[in-house]
Parts: sequence; C-alpha cells; structure tokens
Amino acid sequence: MSAAHNKLKPQNIARSAMILSPVEQLAPLPAPYDTCDKVPEFTELKPDWIDTRCASLDGFVAIDSLRRPASPEDEEEFVRSFIVAVGKLFAHHNSKFLRPLNLTVDYCAKCDTCSQACHVYQATCKQDIYRPIYRSEVLRRIYKKHYTTSGKLLGSFVGAGIDLTWESIARLAELAYRCNLCRRCAQVCPLGLDNGMLAREIRKLFSQEMGIAPSAIHEKGSMLHLNVGSTTGLTRPALLDTIEFLEEDMSELTGRKVRFPIDKEGADVLLLHNAGEFLTWPENPTAFAILFDEAGIDWTLSSESLGYDGVNYGLWYDDTQARKIALTHAGIAKKLGVSRIVIGECGHAHKALAVSANRMTSEVGVPVESNISVLAELVREGRLVFDSSKNDFPIALHDPCNVVRQMGIVKPQRDILKAIAPQFLELTPEGVNNYCCGGGSGFALMHSGNFEDFKVKVCARTKFTQIIDAFGKDFIDPALPKYVCAPCSNCKGTMRDLFKHYKTTATYQVHYGGLVELMVNALASTKTPYLEFLQ
Amino acid sequence: MSYIIAGFILLALLCFVLLTAYRAWKYSRLPLHARLELYPVPKEGGGRARYGGSYYEESKWWSKPRTLSKANETKDILMEMLFIRKLFDNNKGLWWVSYVFHIGIYCLFAWTVMLLVSTIWPLDVHIYTAAIAGMAGYCLATLGALGLLIRRIFDTDLRSYTTPVEYFNLILILLVLISGIISWLFVCTPFFAASQILFFTGLALSPIIYIHLALLGIMLIYIPASKMSHYVGKFFAFHKVLWDNDPNSKGSQVNLHLQKAAKAAQTQKPEWLAPHTGMVAPATEQIPTSSERGNEP
Ligand code: SF4
Ligand code: SF4
Repeated sequence: MSAAHNKLKPQNIARSAMILSPVEQLAPLPAPYDTCDKVPEFTELKPDWIDTRCASLDGFVAIDSLRRPASPEDEEEFVRSFIVAVGKLFAHHNSKFLRPLNLTVDYCAKCDTCSQACHVYQATCKQDIYRPIYRSEVLRRIYKKHYTTSGKLLGSFVGAGIDLTWESIARLAELAYRCNLCRRCAQVCPLGLDNGMLAREIRKLFSQEMGIAPSAIHEKGSMLHLNVGSTTGLTRPALLDTIEFLEEDMSELTGRKVRFPIDKEGADVLLLHNAGEFLTWPENPTAFAILFDEAGIDWTLSSESLGYDGVNYGLWYDDTQARKIALTHAGIAKKLGVSRIVIGECGHAHKALAVSANRMTSEVGVPVESNISVLAELVREGRLVFDSSKNDFPIALHDPCNVVRQMGIVKPQRDILKAIAPQFLELTPEGVNNYCCGGGSGFALMHSGNFEDFKVKVCARTKFTQIIDAFGKDFIDPALPKYVCAPCSNCKGTMRDLFKHYKTTATYQVHYGGLVELMVNALASTKTPYLEFLQ
Repeated sequence: MSYIIAGFILLALLCFVLLTAYRAWKYSRLPLHARLELYPVPKEGGGRARYGGSYYEESKWWSKPRTLSKANETKDILMEMLFIRKLFDNNKGLWWVSYVFHIGIYCLFAWTVMLLVSTIWPLDVHIYTAAIAGMAGYCLATLGALGLLIRRIFDTDLRSYTTPVEYFNLILILLVLISGIISWLFVCTPFFAASQILFFTGLALSPIIYIHLALLGIMLIYIPASKMSHYVGKFFAFHKVLWDNDPNSKGSQVNLHLQKAAKAAQTQKPEWLAPHTGMVAPATEQIPTSSERGNEP
C-alpha cells in the first residue's frame, strides 16, 4: 500500500482525490485460500456511478441514493443542512443518545486501542480510514468547530474544523457504512467509549435530517416493512400461501405433521421470525414449528402487517424508523394477548425488541425473550429428546454480535450444542469477544454497485479466517461435511455470500445454517436427516 | 504575594472539586439514554459476569429475581482504577507508560493528603509517608508524562489524531511536575510551603515556588474543564452506559425516568426534517383471530 493512503489524518477526508484511500492490500487468508486476493480485485463501478454517487472514499459505494448536487447552490444547501443535522444530534432531538454520544465525543484519549479490535481495519492491513476513531474524529472536529465555544475561538488548536464540501460530507456518510456496528471496539476501550455507536449516530443524522440512507435498508427496507408489512415485500396473503405450502411440503419431507398456528389469541408465545427465513431458509421456521410442537408449547405466528417480520432495520440507521417498527411489534403482541414474544433466529430483531424497545416508551409491554433461552430450557428439562450421533460431524458456533456481545446470551446455545453436537467447536475468539460475521448493520442486504465485494472480501475476512482455523485440517476434506452454526438470519446471509464467493461449500463441504435445524436433525423422533446435505 | 498564591492554590483546589462535581452533575442530568449495554457486565450475578452472560439467558427472565453481584462490580472497578486493566489487556505497549503516569498521580494525591495531615499533625510516620509518596509520585508521574508525550510525538498512528491541545495538556502537566521537583529538591521542603499556605503565614517564598504553585493552580482549575477529567467520563461510560442493563419494569427507576422523559417530550418535539420521520406507525389491522376463523386446533 502506498504510504500516502496509510497516513491519512481525519482532516484529509476533504483532500481532493479521485479515490481517497483505495483498498490495495488485504490480510492474508489461511490455506487453502492463502493465494487468494494477493492483489485484491474488486468489481469496477459503472462510470455513471462514479459520476453521480460518492465513490471517492475508497472506490466503493454503499449509499446508492446519495447523489451529487446539480449546482453550487444545491451543494451549499447540502452543507448547510448537514451542519444543522450535526447540531440536532447534540440537542434535545436526540435525547436518548446524548449521554453516550457526549461521553465519546468529549473523552477520547486517542490511544488507538480500539483499532486493534476492529476486523475491518485489520482486514485492510490497517488502512487509516477504517480505524474506529477516524470517522469519530471527523465528526468531533465538525461538531467542535460549529457548536462549541472552544472550537469557535481556538479552532485547530483544539482540533476543530474540517473543510465541508459535498465531497467531504458524502465521504463521511459513506464511511459510516464501512462499520458493522459490532461494537467490538467499544469493548476494549479503556474509557468505555463507543465508536460503533458513533458510526450509527452519523448514519442517523444523514437519514433523519437529510433523508440519506442506502436504499436496501431504507426504501426497500424499513419503508417497505412499514408500508407492505415486510422488508421482503411479502404481503399477508403471500405469507399465508407460503405457510400453507410449507405445511404441506415439510410434512411430506419430514414425515411428521408440520403446523404453523396463526393469529392464535391468548397463546403463550408469539414467535417472531425474520420473514426472510420463510423465503430463503424455510427449514428454519419449520424447525421451530417442529420443536415447539414436540415440546408442547402453545405458540402462534402473527399474520398482521409487520407481525410476521420481526426485523427492524431502523436499528442500523434511524431511531424514528426503529421506534415505529418496534412499537408496532409490541402492539401486535398486546392485541393478540400472548404472554411473551419469542424472537426467532435474527440477531438484530433480538436487540431491537428485547433491548432497545425496552426503553422506547414508559409502557411496560409484553415481555420479550430469545428463542435460544427458551430452547435451552426445553433441553434442560428433557422436553426435547436427542440422539446426538445424528450430528456427528464438526460444527463450529458463530456468535451473532447482537445476541451475544450486546445481549449477553452466551451459555444457552453452548448448552444446547453440547447436548446435540459431539464435535462442537468454538471459533477463536468466541462468546462476547467474537468477531462480526461481516454482514452486521445491514451489510448482509446491501448488494448495490460493488459493495458486495467490500462485505465479502473485507468485512467477512476475519470471520472466514476464524472458520477455516476452527475446522483445522478437516476444512479441506471434501468428504467430511462441516457446519457453521449461525443462529441469525443476517449472519447466514453473509455466510451464504461468503461461501459462494470462495466456493467453500462446493469445494470443501462447509455448510452453514441455524441452531434449530441442527436440533431437529438430532431429535430422537426424527426418522430421516433434516439437514439437506445429509439426505 | 504569598497570601495571594496561598489563596489561589486553595481556591484552585476548591474549583477542582466543584468543577468536577459540576461536570458529573451535568452528565447525570442528561435524559435516560437508550440501552447500549455491552457484555461482560460485571454486576451480572450467578457467575455470569465471568463469561459475559446476562439475565436474558434465563427463559421468562422477567418472572425470576435478578441476581446481581455488587462484589464483582466493585472488583472490576478496582481492577480498572488500580491496574487500568482494559488497557493492559488490549494495548500493553501504551499501558506501561500510562500506568506509570497514573500510579504517579495517585501517589501525588496521597502525598497532598499526607502533606496536609503532617502539617497539622507532624508525626514522624506522617512525614515519612508523605515524603515517600511525594518522591514516588513525582518520579513516576514525570516519567509517565514524558513517556506519553514521546509516544505521542513519535508514534505516527497516535500523532495523526493528536491535536495541539492534547500536547499542551501533557506539557502543562510536565511543567507542573518539573517545577515542583526543582522547588522541593533545591529550594525548600514541601512541608514548609504547605504550612505557609495552610496557615497563611505569609513568609516570602522563592519565585520558582510561586511559578510552580501558579501552574499547579491553573492545572487544577483546567483539568475538570478539559478531557483530562476522564475520571468522570469513565465512571459514566461504564456504570451508566455499558453496564446499565436494567430493564424497564413496573415501578422501576428506569420506568420513572421514562415517564418523566415522556412528559418532557410533549414540550420539546424532536423535529427531524426527513419526511419519513414524521410518518406515523401503521395502525394494527382488524385481522380475524384463529378462533374467529374457526380453525382452532
Ligand atoms: S480506545 Fe477509546 S479512548 Fe482509545 S482511541 Fe479508541 S475510543 Fe479513544
Ligand atoms: S463497531 Fe465494529 S466494525 Fe465498527 S469500528 Fe467498531 S469494531 Fe470496527
């Protein structure tokens, strides 16, 4: 990498350059992929995209909806609106984040400890712009210059000021989407500061004030969710059709009656899935149906708009969207009269409804819990009986950040795996110190332009390394099936793209999937293998 | 002159305490924030803190009593205060200098207290303790501050992010320390100066001591206003943000705060400009329930 790219100071974000800091080097992968990406190749952007979007940060475009201004007046208005948005972030408009935000802005000791914890920074062989503090320092400098007395009076002496143009602001917006919001950096900060949270705050100001966010998570994400009922575009009639089809198909396939109770008033459990599961991994909601049925749980799905899609993309970029979605979910559970909401295998749905929504209003709603804790209890109580020899192949557990680091659910999934997987493996580091899959914060869904390349080759790189290392010499054995257990739709989406890109499943038989599929596969009552690759 | 400097240094000490308290008060007055806990949360009881578990690991967590471990939380705080453990675990290279510096500062705090004690109550043991704490404090803090400054200047990664005021902070500390060392080594004993200040005896002191005391006073007033007051920030960042996983339940403190916040929100509308922010959540539909559809299993 050229020295110039690796010596970027925060204020250089405004530097005039076609591409400020291209990715020219990637951390090597272990064998058998050690010869890959020696000189990283990325999909060329269409010239039209280079002209109209902001590709000048690192050559990638995450925010497809961010367009260059047509005139100097438009640019001026853009800059003005951005400055106003920064002010709102530090005012009553953002009251729920003022404390953590101010702490992080006020106290960073610039010790750089957080950089060592960040997989994006590590994967790019320590490229400056991907340091957790780079984007934070840019925001800090802008805030100081425009909103603090010391910044106004003393300027650069107190580190205030960045040249604000469309280009520098758009680069900052793009940079907020080079972070998976995994908050691993916050975990190591000696002062307890949170650059992951700050990256989300930057996303927020662009979305909430300027209407700027990647279309995959806004127009085709939270807006579709609110308007149609699901981010997948699945409407209620389509859902009912899908479920009817699944009941028939899965009953036939598994040789047992698969049933999805719908809108059952007064049920004990409202099970909230990521609707993507119904379309992409139907074996996952089916596995839940089988397990809950076998354990005798009184449960239901909701067919109400939003009630069958537990995702909440607002969590990644917009408090106002997050609130609308979370409160609708809570309202649906209340209306159904269920005694608890159980979140299926979707990490950010866990965080959104069980953690974030818990302080959105003063109302104490229907309690929310994770499927993992419920299932672990069923296993502990012997309400599910297993024959673990059915899962006798290496199984490595991936810890989704939202469920583990951000919610503290660590042991139950391990207890389950110990009961059902004789060859259970940990990734290193594991548990709360895990690395993000690389698809966190919406990246799993963002495929526009060449962003897919950034996700697969950069963000998912550390995770891929962990997976290869965990299986050791077994990794390259094509006769031995291996399984990465990722109990989160978003993480599975990343594994899918990652394994497809590196032909991992096709060449080495490394599969991925959730935890419940493994559980059903190991059920003593299951006659034929549930996992497709064992059939 | 000595009256002025004595008054100034006592005022500076008072300012240090009051401004620190003011800073803490300002943080504590901010509205209850969104939940941003990050595990491990040391107050989680039942052995969960060790691996980063939480009450969410139990099914129907809301119906079970929370197990909290004050002892574990206190242990974690002490480890952080006494050993700066997070830095030790994650950035050993910097930990050495930072630790030497912070231990030096702690010694200097002990020295200040013992100096006052021995001025009022001049027992040998008090005087010796003060002398040892003072020597250790000055040596370690100066070494540490020098180390921090040198690292910041020569480590290109750190240099890129360091603003002039951050060099200024370290230089100010070094000036205070060095002027102190010169004063107490070559001019007069700190016990003598302390008694002069404390009892306003008004004897003339040497100019270097005036310089030292003036710088010290400035630093004491400046620290709470600068990010050197991270001892305040650290408390809030850990206790009130990263370790705060208290759920909103009926009658809880969290619930009371949220009720207050809801009232405040009625007068202060958070107006963001993007059109979607004004959108209301969709109304729940009138979907027939399973019993109405007659397909109850
Ligand atoms: S670890 Fe914390 S204090 Fe150090 S640079 Fe990162 S955010 Fe700042
Ligand atoms: S939140 Fe995760 S991806 Fe973002 S800067 Fe921190 S460690 Fe890196």
